[in-house]
Amino acid sequence: MAETLAIQAKAISKTFHISEDSHNTVKHRLFNLFNPPRMKKVEALKTMDFDVFKGECVGLLGRNGCGKSTLVRLLAGVYPTDTGTINIYGNTLLMNLGVGMSHQLTARENIYVSASVLGLKIKEIDKIFDEIVEFAELKEFVDTKIKYFSSGMVARLGFSIAVNAGADIMFLDEIFAVGDMKFQEKAVKVFESSWIQGKTVILVSHGMETIRRYCNRAAFMKNGSLVYFGDTETAIQMYVDDNHE
Amino acid sequence: MIIGILTDWFRRSNKSERLWLLAKIEFKLRYYENKLGLLWALIKPLMDIAIYYVVFQTIMKQNVPAFASYLFIGLILWNFFVESTTGTVQILYAKKYLYEYSNMNKLEIYVSTLLSNAIGFFFNFIMFLLFYNLLEKGSTGSTLYTLWIVPLFVNMYILSLAIALILSNIYIIAKDITQIWMVFTSFLFFLSPIFYKLDTFKAALPSFDYLNPLAGIIINARKATMEGANPDFKLFLFDFAYSIFFLMMGMLLLNKLGSKAAEKL
Repeated sequence: MAETLAIQAKAISKTFHISEDSHNTVKHRLFNLFNPPRMKKVEALKTMDFDVFKGECVGLLGRNGCGKSTLVRLLAGVYPTDTGTINIYGNTLLMNLGVGMSHQLTARENIYVSASVLGLKIKEIDKIFDEIVEFAELKEFVDTKIKYFSSGMVARLGFSIAVNAGADIMFLDEIFAVGDMKFQEKAVKVFESSWIQGKTVILVSHGMETIRRYCNRAAFMKNGSLVYFGDTETAIQMYVDDNHE
Repeated sequence: MIIGILTDWFRRSNKSERLWLLAKIEFKLRYYENKLGLLWALIKPLMDIAIYYVVFQTIMKQNVPAFASYLFIGLILWNFFVESTTGTVQILYAKKYLYEYSNMNKLEIYVSTLLSNAIGFFFNFIMFLLFYNLLEKGSTGSTLYTLWIVPLFVNMYILSLAIALILSNIYIIAKDITQIWMVFTSFLFFLSPIFYKLDTFKAALPSFDYLNPLAGIIINARKATMEGANPDFKLFLFDFAYSIFFLMMGMLLLNKLGSKAAEKL
């Protein structure tokens, strides 16, 4: 099978400069011209290279704070890299407890805006609109601003938009933590059906069962380094061993 | 580079739809949320005109012919500029939800917000035309030259977009740009021939119409809509050159600073 690239990362790294004093006004900068802010360097991601191919489902494992979310944001094009290049072939969707939604807008407006950002045309959104509302179980609240929604309702709406609109490359960061048990069952069901077919998925999860079931390759990260990228079972084993250290 | 971006936008056809969708929602948010609704967009310039009319025509006796219309066209252009610049300083913060979860081009956020302001300008301009042709006593009536407002407004749009890009990207590293810009705009307001007689303005600040692109656009808009004449082409080219220059600066800042918006804001 000739494999087409979906994401190509070459020598990427990311360091966050966290300043202890807030020098984010002109006044502060002028008054402290000769007293530069103390910067703390946090090496979130150490240099790494890898390729992800179209149609793959890749699992991302690692303990809290190992750089999974940073990596996912870099790959989704939300954060710029410090070094190296990332080539993304397609539009991306990053999902962690929902997708980007404005609390000033109604559910209807958010559906149209989000789906449009994900690359759908208005006519296509019209077609899937009812499905989105139905799946999110928000029929009576379509024209309510989401700032009046409970957090569960917002999360359900985000999940439903993502499921029905989708994107070429999807980064799913702990998505099965959304909603109550009934909704979670629905989420798993939809995940197993046709949602991710033909799409490139990077799945971040602590649930090893989930990774084992859906991913054909997996990566294991530790302290900002990509320790292993390949066979799913090996990655899971490394993660388990790391947790028992 | 700009042409490349534009062709990319329209080739993937949902982009134009998306811009329009975002602009419509933005417009609705701005005007339908308050009690007076859209009416407010129309009442506000009229109230401003009344105030300046009383001060400059009744009290100071400037004797500008058709002064109310003179103010009208100047003020609606000025208001578009202020709304598009002061109103967008925090845009990368307010619209974070649009780029935080996808690789959407940030420039689209600016273009759509200014498009929504352009809708407001369009309504105001219709009001101006009605006022000038039906109510203004010193009116000579609109002519075909009025159509020059289209390229002049395009000029104004590019200029506002450029300044919006510059300010909102500086905001990422310097939050007090909001206050600094507010002071600067009130200064600029008095340095633009909005309510002065043009001769007084030119005599007091010679060549200033070439230094301040807003002044040039307002002067030319009056020539086209009220005097039934061609715009001053030299001034027009100057103003376009300014806008393109600022736009390039803005794009540079968007690439340098704007790319870090998601992590810094």
